[in-house]
Amino acid sequence: MSRSRTRSCPAALSLTAVAALTLSACSGGGGASGSPAADRTLVIDTSFNLKTADPGREFEPTGQIVVKGLYETLLTFKGGDVTKPVPGLASSYEQSEDGRKLTLRLRDDAKFSDGSAVTADDVVFSLKRVIALKGNPSFLLDGVKVTKTDASTITLVSEKPNPALPFILPNPALGIVNAQTVKAHGGSATAADKAEKYFNTTSAGSGPYKLASFNTNSQVVLTKNPKYTGPQRPTYDKVVLRNVQAPTQKLNVQRGDSQIALDLTADQVKGLGGGLNVDSGASSNVIFLLLNQNTEVSSATANAKFVEAVRKGIDYKRLRALAGSGSVQAAGVIPSTILGALPADRAAGRDLAGAKAALKASGIDKPSVTLGYASDLTVDGLSLQTLAERVQSQLKEVGITVTLAPAPTTTEMEKYRGGKEQMGLWYWGPDYPHSSDYLVFLPGNLVGLRAGWKAGADPALTDLGDKAAAALDDDARRKLYERIQTRLNASGPFIPLIQPSRNTVSVSSVTGITYNPVWTIDVASLGAE
Amino acid sequence: MSPRWAPSRRVSGGGRLLARHPLARFLLRRTAVAVLLAFGVTLVTFVLTNVVPGDPAAANLGQRAIGDPAVVDQFRKQHGLDQPLPAQYVTYLGHLFQGDLGESQQTHQPVLTDLATAVPATLELAGAAIAVSLVIGVALGVVAALRRDRLTDQLLRVVSLLGVSVPTFWLALLAFYVFFYQLGVAPGSGRLAPGMAPPPYVTGLHTIDAALAGQWPVFWSAAGHLVLPALVLTAYTVGLLTRFTRSAVLDVLGQDYVRAARAKGLPGRTVLLQYVLRAALVPVVTIAGLAFGALLSGTVLVESIFAWPGLGAYAYRSATTLDLPAVMGVGLVVGIVYLTVNLAVDVLYGVIDPRVRVQ
Repeated sequence: MSRSRTRSCPAALSLTAVAALTLSACSGGGGASGSPAADRTLVIDTSFNLKTADPGREFEPTGQIVVKGLYETLLTFKGGDVTKPVPGLASSYEQSEDGRKLTLRLRDDAKFSDGSAVTADDVVFSLKRVIALKGNPSFLLDGVKVTKTDASTITLVSEKPNPALPFILPNPALGIVNAQTVKAHGGSATAADKAEKYFNTTSAGSGPYKLASFNTNSQVVLTKNPKYTGPQRPTYDKVVLRNVQAPTQKLNVQRGDSQIALDLTADQVKGLGGGLNVDSGASSNVIFLLLNQNTEVSSATANAKFVEAVRKGIDYKRLRALAGSGSVQAAGVIPSTILGALPADRAAGRDLAGAKAALKASGIDKPSVTLGYASDLTVDGLSLQTLAERVQSQLKEVGITVTLAPAPTTTEMEKYRGGKEQMGLWYWGPDYPHSSDYLVFLPGNLVGLRAGWKAGADPALTDLGDKAAAALDDDARRKLYERIQTRLNASGPFIPLIQPSRNTVSVSSVTGITYNPVWTIDVASLGAE
Repeated sequence: MSPRWAPSRRVSGGGRLLARHPLARFLLRRTAVAVLLAFGVTLVTFVLTNVVPGDPAAANLGQRAIGDPAVVDQFRKQHGLDQPLPAQYVTYLGHLFQGDLGESQQTHQPVLTDLATAVPATLELAGAAIAVSLVIGVALGVVAALRRDRLTDQLLRVVSLLGVSVPTFWLALLAFYVFFYQLGVAPGSGRLAPGMAPPPYVTGLHTIDAALAGQWPVFWSAAGHLVLPALVLTAYTVGLLTRFTRSAVLDVLGQDYVRAARAKGLPGRTVLLQYVLRAALVPVVTIAGLAFGALLSGTVLVESIFAWPGLGAYAYRSATTLDLPAVMGVGLVVGIVYLTVNLAVDVLYGVIDPRVRVQ
């Protein structure tokens, strides 16, 4: 090979690289949808947790965003205020005094995207289908019977007093579908339903948007429904939800390749400027410690004084600092966003001397316990691994040896759900924004049992729970749940730690961004300047 | 690696046809072995995914749903998890014979449908990366060998060492930051511009499908989105191929027949292309094959940063959620890819090196 040829090789490589990047640049890089107002396309980046667009089967965060845009529910919430259900497809509703019967009257102008009217039969079919499918959202209507009273009236009768039902009905999983269309595509209100494939191809709802394309791994595209009759007329002709991890989301929104990023952590939004808006606040997820009350699992964690030592030994302020700006200390198991939450000034504080005294009173010499957690799990961007390490070091100052037992979520969750963890670090997100969702923490209930806290372990607390479950009046309900949490904090096996921060970053041209703990963001409510 | 498709000398009866076509016989035998190995892959994957602690129902059902025995039973029944493990495997094989890989518990779609999207996405990325790597890596390797121990060689050694040492995910983040965010010369994440409809499905490779359909805006978008992640992936493979090519060329340069060719007065270009490079390509092809297989199954981090919906991302999601049918499907595809690549490499030996054909 001649000298001149060898020299030309790096030059050729450079030319190749330049050509490649030129091709890349010519493909419209850096701003394919940089002008949302011009083409009315809105691009939202989020890390997908998405399985299906079938409202009867979905119950994942991304699924809630998608389905909220496609289907109307009988009742809904206005913006981020989840303390008061407002009319949706139902123009009005009435709950009986015993909290068992809910009567809803349909709005008379509602139409599906094919132009047909929304009827009581569609409502009955949709809700019965959710129950019959026995999927993730089926529990929302546990013990509820759905009947059509007349052409525009539906009655929901619950086995037990169910004051939470008006707060449950806004859940997008209870969206109303076009019964006739769905039945024609294999749908039925039985477990034999075969309509999911249809729902993942097209939509059959009366919502502000229609489904244009759906891929659980890459992107979902919604287009405006011209037949929509509801109050919240969408601004954008097309909404694109893309599956993008947080670090990339940040660059995309900064560059204008997307207009909204949903999953940035407190650290990632620090110092964001350049015409970007950051909406930060406390998430509705409550991270808590669990101490197993089953002596066969751990005699230490079942010891009330030991629990007290842990509760007093945690440095909550330092944990909150770890979660960053926007996070708050959880005063109780009910998050600050839901009626019934304990006021912030009732939150626990660190008392190192008290913790050491309680540990001494427990009679346990040199206690050693294992802390189980999902090492690959992050809650609103906060890694449980990091949090567990802090808990370990803080309890060491008390004199408690904590052995960390990290495991993949799928493995650790089985131990948690089986009530096998000595100590556990987990979180609870609201299934629906009503304080009754948190009765699971009581003895003998779902999460109570995971802490080895069997029914009858605290009869007074159980009694309070029964009263709270039936309370219709907001004020009475708030007081009851505050009493429940006060007692839980004093003698229960759970130690609420923090509500991490959640952040929504958007370009300045997008308006109307409001975080909602049920569906995160309502794409139809977003406007453009 | 020695080729195994040399003709047999003992031939009789019906074997004559195959004996006259040793390549056909070789391919037939290797295909039969590959099918057996593929079943082995399914068995190993099935056993491994089932010995992992964790319950697929717990991994897939929500907090509330898992507390309802009726919902759990429905899930187990729907996914065949209520059957004993041997029965599950036999059922899986039965469905596999009919081209059914089962339904993903995560996407609620047939695994085959998921793979039909994910595999071409990765194939497009890995194919572009390996093609570029072969051109650049072999060229640099040859240059380095010919300029042994000079400055060019030293520089290329550093560059190739960097290529194989730099973590790919870090490079991906850096490249995305510099070329997309800072310079704005690369498009954003994904395979196409946001909201752009993919071309009609033929191969699943957006560039080819768009060209076939004559959708040139889609083609340019797909090609543009391919450039940066593909270049990031080439960093490692270029480094690898440069090092192996250099070493292989140096080995051949010292051979008697090369010295004889030079002594005969043959032009340097002829010696390089027909005597040196051809012989040196055998180990290079081996490495390229392995690198291609690794690219197909190991691009998860690059796919994550560029939001590329490929096999790596699908495999990761399936594994972390104990989505057994999806994990089995991915295992099978990766197994088949490696078997196919190995077979292709063996065939290429014969194409490149005439000595292999006459053995």
